Amino acid sequence: MKKLMVLLLVISIATSAYKVTDTIHFIVPKGWPQPEYDFTQNPLTTDKISLGTALFYDPILSRDSTIACATCHSNKTAFAQTDQSFSRGIDNKLGTRNAPALMNLAWNTSFMWDGAVKHLDMQALAPMSNPDEMDESIKHVVSKLQQSKHYPMLFFKAFGDSIITGEHTLKAMSQFMLTLVSYNAKYDSVLRREALFTQQENNGYRLFRANCASCHREPLFTNNQFENNGLPVDTSLHDNGRMRITQDSANYLQFKVPTLRNIQVSYPYMHDGRFVRLQQVLNHYTNGIVRSKTLSKQLQQRIVLSNCEKEEIIAFLATLTDKNYLNNVQFAYPKNILH
Amino acid sequence: MRNLIFLFLLISSFYVSAQKDTTIQLTFIAVYNIPQKSTELIHLQDSAFYSNDKDSIEIRTLKFYISGIELYNKGTSVWKEANSYHLIDASDKKTLSIPLSFPTSLDYTILSFNLGIDSATNTMGVQGGDLDPMRGMYWTWQSGYINFKLEGSSPLCNTRHHAFEFHIGGYHHPYNSLQRISLNVSKDINTVAYIEIGKLLSVIDLTKTNQIMTPGKEAVWIAEQVKSCFYSQVDIK
Repeated sequence: MKKLMVLLLVISIATSAYKVTDTIHFIVPKGWPQPEYDFTQNPLTTDKISLGTALFYDPILSRDSTIACATCHSNKTAFAQTDQSFSRGIDNKLGTRNAPALMNLAWNTSFMWDGAVKHLDMQALAPMSNPDEMDESIKHVVSKLQQSKHYPMLFFKAFGDSIITGEHTLKAMSQFMLTLVSYNAKYDSVLRREALFTQQENNGYRLFRANCASCHREPLFTNNQFENNGLPVDTSLHDNGRMRITQDSANYLQFKVPTLRNIQVSYPYMHDGRFVRLQQVLNHYTNGIVRSKTLSKQLQQRIVLSNCEKEEIIAFLATLTDKNYLNNVQFAYPKNILH
Repeated sequence: MRNLIFLFLLISSFYVSAQKDTTIQLTFIAVYNIPQKSTELIHLQDSAFYSNDKDSIEIRTLKFYISGIELYNKGTSVWKEANSYHLIDASDKKTLSIPLSFPTSLDYTILSFNLGIDSATNTMGVQGGDLDPMRGMYWTWQSGYINFKLEGSSPLCNTRHHAFEFHIGGYHHPYNSLQRISLNVSKDINTVAYIEIGKLLSVIDLTKTNQIMTPGKEAVWIAEQVKSCFYSQVDIK
């Protein structure tokens, strides 16, 4: 009997110790919409975020432990990969789409260039099991984590259970990704009346609002929709875009409207990384639009911009670079956990 | 202390008996043909072969989701299972029976369930238990559960190792593959739900249709065929 009482006591202490972990309140920047992500289903805690950070940086997620999420999503460039239009995955294989920058994911209504993934929790499964990226299954990842030296303890700290599951692995990864909020660019300071645009930036902002903002809607600089922005089809890829998912020809050549925050540092641009400089992007919008049935409504009317105006828009876009975001040590390689 | 624990046990046993629940087992049995013709069950561990006049078939994998289990009496729902999501894996015996507990007084004649996972659950965040993506019934290249998975081989398939693979799912209109299945059942008797795989394979032209791995028109058609392959022991009599 006494033994039973002691056991009960130990269990109650253990569970209460787990419960003291403080839930971190997710802060919505002033003037921003409410996030899409339902935090009640996965409340943020310090231990879960640290675990998610470790998983994001750990190549254990790939078949031969060579590729981590961070391999193609570098924190220094807003989690984009700037040296390649297509990232190199496992066995040096090449994908067919550009690794997008990662930020403000709590507000995304879908993921991937074609919206293939509906929920942030499920996002990591796509690169993990893609044979050209990590070529691994969540089931095997879970068993590798379970056999590792430090992960069972990290999962216990985070979830109160050292038995690792796919659910807990993916929830922890979401937690790290949810913390990636970029809201401290010069643009934000200007809106908060803490800074002023230069004349050139201000002109750029005005032109941006007139020509670009209907799709790249403030404050997230995306409307979360899919559009055909008139890029000529790359006949070596024949990427149908959103149509691959919906099998609806109305979605032919439509791709997700990406955010423009940190755009200056997250080149190359477009779903296939075909443009390296913002100048090329603007030249496309003024002179390169290919008309087709599914061309975005927003681009039906020709955009006319002088070279000087293009420079002004680019100057404005540079005010979306958030140095606090790029240099945030909390987003960097977790030296204290991974060795 | 001892008295306190005794009291606790007394109260809890009283509480349990006051509920007066009946528990029945809903057991899924995969067969090639319904029991009258052949009582052979598919034992996927030993990779079973089946043949009919034109074909000899091996079944390697049979897995499917059952959700939203409900009892009906005279067309009205009288009981719903809470948190009703079950992954049935023909090669894993412990997944084949689902215990259902409901008030003893309940009258019912029909047991119904979804074959697959509803669209709301498909768009929610990651779930645990049978819905954990590590169970291998979740597509990774695009969001969504695989509602029904059948893999095997047949000489009719002009594919590598004569393999056929049917991963049936999709929750988006117009290609929602979810099916509602209703079986006639007898009150308070364990229910067996037979799934007749031979019937399904007899309606599919395996020479032409042997790989369906994405949501779409074909997947919905297969799901409709699977629906008509379920029988309870009452349906068979």
